Amino acid sequence: MDVSQYLEIFIDETSEHIQSLNDCIMNLEQEPDNKDTINEIFRAAHSLKGMAGTMGFKRMQHLTHDMENVFSEVRNDKVKVNGEMIDVLFQCLDAIEGYLETIKSTSDEGTEENEAIITKLNEILNNAGGAAAPAPAKEEAHEEKAPESAAPSNFEEKFLDAEFNDADKQAVKAKEAEGLKVYGVTVYIDQKCLLKSARAFLVFKAIEEIGTIIYYNPSSQDIEDEKFDFDFNLFVATDRSLDEILNAAKNVLEIETAVGREISSSDLDNEAGVDMSKEDSAGDIKNVPQVKTQQATSGGKAPANKQAVTSRTVRVDIEKLDTLMNQVSELIIAKNSLVSISSAEGAGGQSQSFTEQIEYLERITTMLHESVMKARMVPIESVVNKFPRMIRDLSKTLNKKMELVMTGEETELDRTVVDQIGDPLQHLLRNSADHGLEPDDVRIKRGKPETGKIFLNAYQEGNNVVIEVGDDGNGIDTQQVKQKAIERGLVTADQADTLSQKEIIDFLFMPGFSMAKKVSDISGRGVGLDVVKSNIEALGGDVEVKSTLGEGSKFIVRLPLTLAIIQALMVEIEDEKYAIALGSIQNIEDIPASDVKYVQAKEVITLRGSVIPLIRLDKMLDVERKDPEAEENKTNLTVVIVKKGDNFAGLVVDRLMGQQEIVIKSLGKYINNNKMISGATILGDGEVALILDANTLI
Amino acid sequence: MADKLLMTEADSKQYIVVKIGNEQYGIDISYIDNIVRMQKITRVPKAQNYFKGIINLRGEVVPVMTIRVRMGLEMEEFTNDTRIIILKMEEHGKLGVIVDQVKEVVTLTPNEIDPYIPDTRDEKSAFIKGIGKHSDQLISLLELNSIIDDKEVI
Repeated sequence: MDVSQYLEIFIDETSEHIQSLNDCIMNLEQEPDNKDTINEIFRAAHSLKGMAGTMGFKRMQHLTHDMENVFSEVRNDKVKVNGEMIDVLFQCLDAIEGYLETIKSTSDEGTEENEAIITKLNEILNNAGGAAAPAPAKEEAHEEKAPESAAPSNFEEKFLDAEFNDADKQAVKAKEAEGLKVYGVTVYIDQKCLLKSARAFLVFKAIEEIGTIIYYNPSSQDIEDEKFDFDFNLFVATDRSLDEILNAAKNVLEIETAVGREISSSDLDNEAGVDMSKEDSAGDIKNVPQVKTQQATSGGKAPANKQAVTSRTVRVDIEKLDTLMNQVSELIIAKNSLVSISSAEGAGGQSQSFTEQIEYLERITTMLHESVMKARMVPIESVVNKFPRMIRDLSKTLNKKMELVMTGEETELDRTVVDQIGDPLQHLLRNSADHGLEPDDVRIKRGKPETGKIFLNAYQEGNNVVIEVGDDGNGIDTQQVKQKAIERGLVTADQADTLSQKEIIDFLFMPGFSMAKKVSDISGRGVGLDVVKSNIEALGGDVEVKSTLGEGSKFIVRLPLTLAIIQALMVEIEDEKYAIALGSIQNIEDIPASDVKYVQAKEVITLRGSVIPLIRLDKMLDVERKDPEAEENKTNLTVVIVKKGDNFAGLVVDRLMGQQEIVIKSLGKYINNNKMISGATILGDGEVALILDANTLI
Repeated sequence: MADKLLMTEADSKQYIVVKIGNEQYGIDISYIDNIVRMQKITRVPKAQNYFKGIINLRGEVVPVMTIRVRMGLEMEEFTNDTRIIILKMEEHGKLGVIVDQVKEVVTLTPNEIDPYIPDTRDEKSAFIKGIGKHSDQLISLLELNSIIDDKEVI
């Protein structure tokens, strides 16, 4: 059987099952007697086995089969869950994941047999009751399938069973009016089929090539979620013959058969449906309750179904979304130039409706951009949900008690960002586990709870997403870091004394700088934090550290919500235009030049009680002044207050030009710049403006 | 187009002849994406001195280099003849180079090109990879890869 077309579905579903197994086994470790968890595990393991079998991955199937056997014993209370077994199970999951990785890269499961794990699994079984073990597992499998095998063996037409709402009838009538024939079709999937929704999807695809599907029962959403038995119903509007439709369906693999006939809108009266099911009940009593419930649910959902058809989810290649995003960017640039032309022409030259249309266009492009952006957003859950497992393993290897508390897993970020934050976050968590938390006995001595706490909090803050990773461990010992920096010759002892807390902590982000006394598997090679920092900066974000000796440390990762388009404030310095991301702007102040004070020879202003350093952008950016004297004698300064975390700075600019939606473009690889400029953007009049990265100015 | 023309005579290459200062230079046509007139260039603070800034090339941001500064000549004055030659370098994307004038396209066969031994003491001589002879004119052929020195590409 050619299964390559299902490979993607297989990979997705398998990773879902592995993740749910991971979560469940973690649960099981906490509450070994939780029946629901055990059942959940059993189901997932069973599906894994089945899918691997269907796809012809024998080794994977073998491993999952043995794993399933163990779960089945647990379910039957023949084996008690213990730590050792959990370990084996986790190893087993890792092995399965290994298969999956190999499959992803080579479309083949590879040759790793994982004998050792299989032996261990079997040992658990043998301890439980020897040869009896495999048998119940099979029974289970049968039992599970039992209700399904009771499904009808004669294939009736079920498509009129359900209740129909007006919209459905209307749709049928409309197609009839167009002169098309409407067929009701019931498709039966082979009962051994494991990827039902995939088959169903292929059937839809085949049929839609020659006709239009106007009605689904169960709803297409339910079909996609595999919430159906082994048959589903369709109405197809087409100008082809019934046989062509049925054959199209039957040609899909693992489709048992398809039956159908031409229907008319009058067939959709509810009485007809009831009649049909009554006839059915005479023919196959066993099947009735099943049909009935199906009716009830689909009947109840009917009004929603109409929408479900259009809101079907599709898998989209990220590249297609990228292209779409680029095109939206182009559109926004074009829109901006229209706007600037319209305002340049002045109010007199054009009709009001032109201005209105321009405004309308602005709204639409903004909404379009938001929609495309949303389409690219995924919750960080997919990345962080592997961490509890990682911390558990670390806890074992490091022999420290620790727990991970996560909040805000639902926070959404651009897909490309999510794909790349996994490694940096993992690094930070490992750091916390290894360096941050003290050994258990030290913790007790210090009066802390024995179990160390590691946390990961994610939340949105303006145009950024903040992810905090930290622990309640020892914190960063700045004295030690200073010592190390002196040892390595990075600073002299004298210099070290003048360094601020923050400057000392920054040493940790230098390549090759490691505080670990010995190199371990987990960390200490000195290739940690500098990589974390550069990875995060590559994504346009930054890392900040807060640490209190003895109480713990916290790494604050700030990431931009979107990479491509932002709202920005345009400012002018002499005749150069710069954009500052609105997200980083706190407020804008007009300050008399006499209010500028000096602290350590640096300009500052006091604003509502807090001292804010002043940055003269013209000096910072080497802007040539045409009339330096006039500049000196200015009586008022326009100051844009920007913030980064809890720090503020005031940027002195000449003029404010207003807010604008800008598309971020890279400067390319040729030009060296000192990170002050995070990119460029094209303005409405075609001019290029640079984007200032306020974060690096502070 | 360019590719098709290249095929006409085996091993011969087409060069665009440009004027920089008083000399003529040839740029391999296969690297050239586009030639545009002088336009407003946005200065990039703290960039290398031979980078004039960035321009908007039909919605794309392209850095522009003044090759005169790169070669140690004084900054150019822009005239009606000044052009920006947009080069397309495979790995690093597009790059604009300002030249004083674009003169013509010539086809040079290998025998028309004399090898040029760069003076190792003079970094700037590495920019030339050969001297082309075309109807009594001498054309220094630019080695584009050394103009965008890898050391300086971040």
